[in-house]
Amino acid sequence: MRARVVAGGIVSSAAILVIGWQIGAQPELTASPQQATTSDGSSSGSGSAGTSTGGSGTTGGSSTGSPSGGTGTSAGGSGSVKDGTFAGQTAQTQYGPVQVQITVSGGKLIDVAALQLTNDGGRSVQISQQAAPVLRQEALQAQSAKVQAVSGATYTSEGYVTSLQSALDQAGL
Amino acid sequence: MSVATFETMGTVVSIRGAGPSAAAKARRVFAGYDHRYSLYDPSSVLSRIARGDLRLTDAPQDVRDVYALALEWRDRTGGAFTPHRPDGVVDLSGVVKALAIRDAGALLDDGSQDWLLNAGGDVLARGRHRGVAPWSVGVVDPARREVVVGVVALKEPRRAVATSGTAERGEHVWRRAGLTFVQATVVADDIVTADVLATAIVAGDADDLRQITTDGSIDVLAFDVDGVVWASPRAERMVQSSATVNPAW
Repeated sequence: MRARVVAGGIVSSAAILVIGWQIGAQPELTASPQQATTSDGSSSGSGSAGTSTGGSGTTGGSSTGSPSGGTGTSAGGSGSVKDGTFAGQTAQTQYGPVQVQITVSGGKLIDVAALQLTNDGGRSVQISQQAAPVLRQEALQAQSAKVQAVSGATYTSEGYVTSLQSALDQAGL
Repeated sequence: MSVATFETMGTVVSIRGAGPSAAAKARRVFAGYDHRYSLYDPSSVLSRIARGDLRLTDAPQDVRDVYALALEWRDRTGGAFTPHRPDGVVDLSGVVKALAIRDAGALLDDGSQDWLLNAGGDVLARGRHRGVAPWSVGVVDPARREVVVGVVALKEPRRAVATSGTAERGEHVWRRAGLTFVQATVVADDIVTADVLATAIVAGDADDLRQITTDGSIDVLAFDVDGVVWASPRAERMVQSSATVNPAW
């Protein structure tokens, strides 16, 4: 069954949860510290594209004309991609809070999982088996194509957060 | 690989192959154009013109030059691309982002031989990925934005990819024909050409597409309302899914 039918708001076209990253912020880690993606240099809290609430095409106040801060870099280092499992920002959906987790191994994105956070002591559980494999397969399709960028109708800052480009950027692919 | 990202012009720019200071310079280029031309910023020159506080003829030279460029493209595309909104407002966003990409790219060239800049889905690259393989850009399915249906391998001189479409919130295309193409990706030697022609295809119809692709100087992957993928001859091999392909030439 298609993910859209099963999970409705979670995988609607406006909120495809391939990822849920906040630009410039240190992603939460589920792997050991040396596997962290670090934001080098100039990242700052103002680079929070993921939380933009502006209308379509609105330029964020923090970006117009301000020369400093807000530029994030990820997957730092001299070119190697860090392996590990990385969890991103939690997104609020009609089904509750959902967090996306990606796994990188050998320089490739090998798994994408959407975790639905429960109120039960904060334990993460995977959302229905019917939804997760579709997300995984579709994100992996991009990886098998070995792309570094995606081109589609222009994503807004908010749209970027749930785009394939964001996953590629965070994984440093 | 190190990836720098920043928010600008209502979208996000991702840069590969450039260090933090080069990325910061690129960011300032975008901020400069945004400050000048954004219709969402009431203090921009273009907003003042839209309100009637400033006449276009009294605007700074660079603004008039960009307007002239947009008019040239209007002529070249038979009006499919135009800076004139239906309500009469002069909207230069159709060229401004591409100009910012172009200028930022010139700065990146100073410091690096291999880089890729993606501004919300419009891509300009130089050199190779990790210095070895062509930079690869995935074209997304307009109906499912997490799915890649074609891959563009960028090889000089074709180093620019732009996609126009109606699938994302905030895209505005003023159509002068009935809706034919919901999304068009253009691969060209420069980003302004790619961006303008992608917009022109989505604003136009099949005849516009044929006219635009006649001289073979660009490659096109376009999706029509029925989900059929139209590909110019060289672009056919970019398609790698089960999407129906219509080589309509």
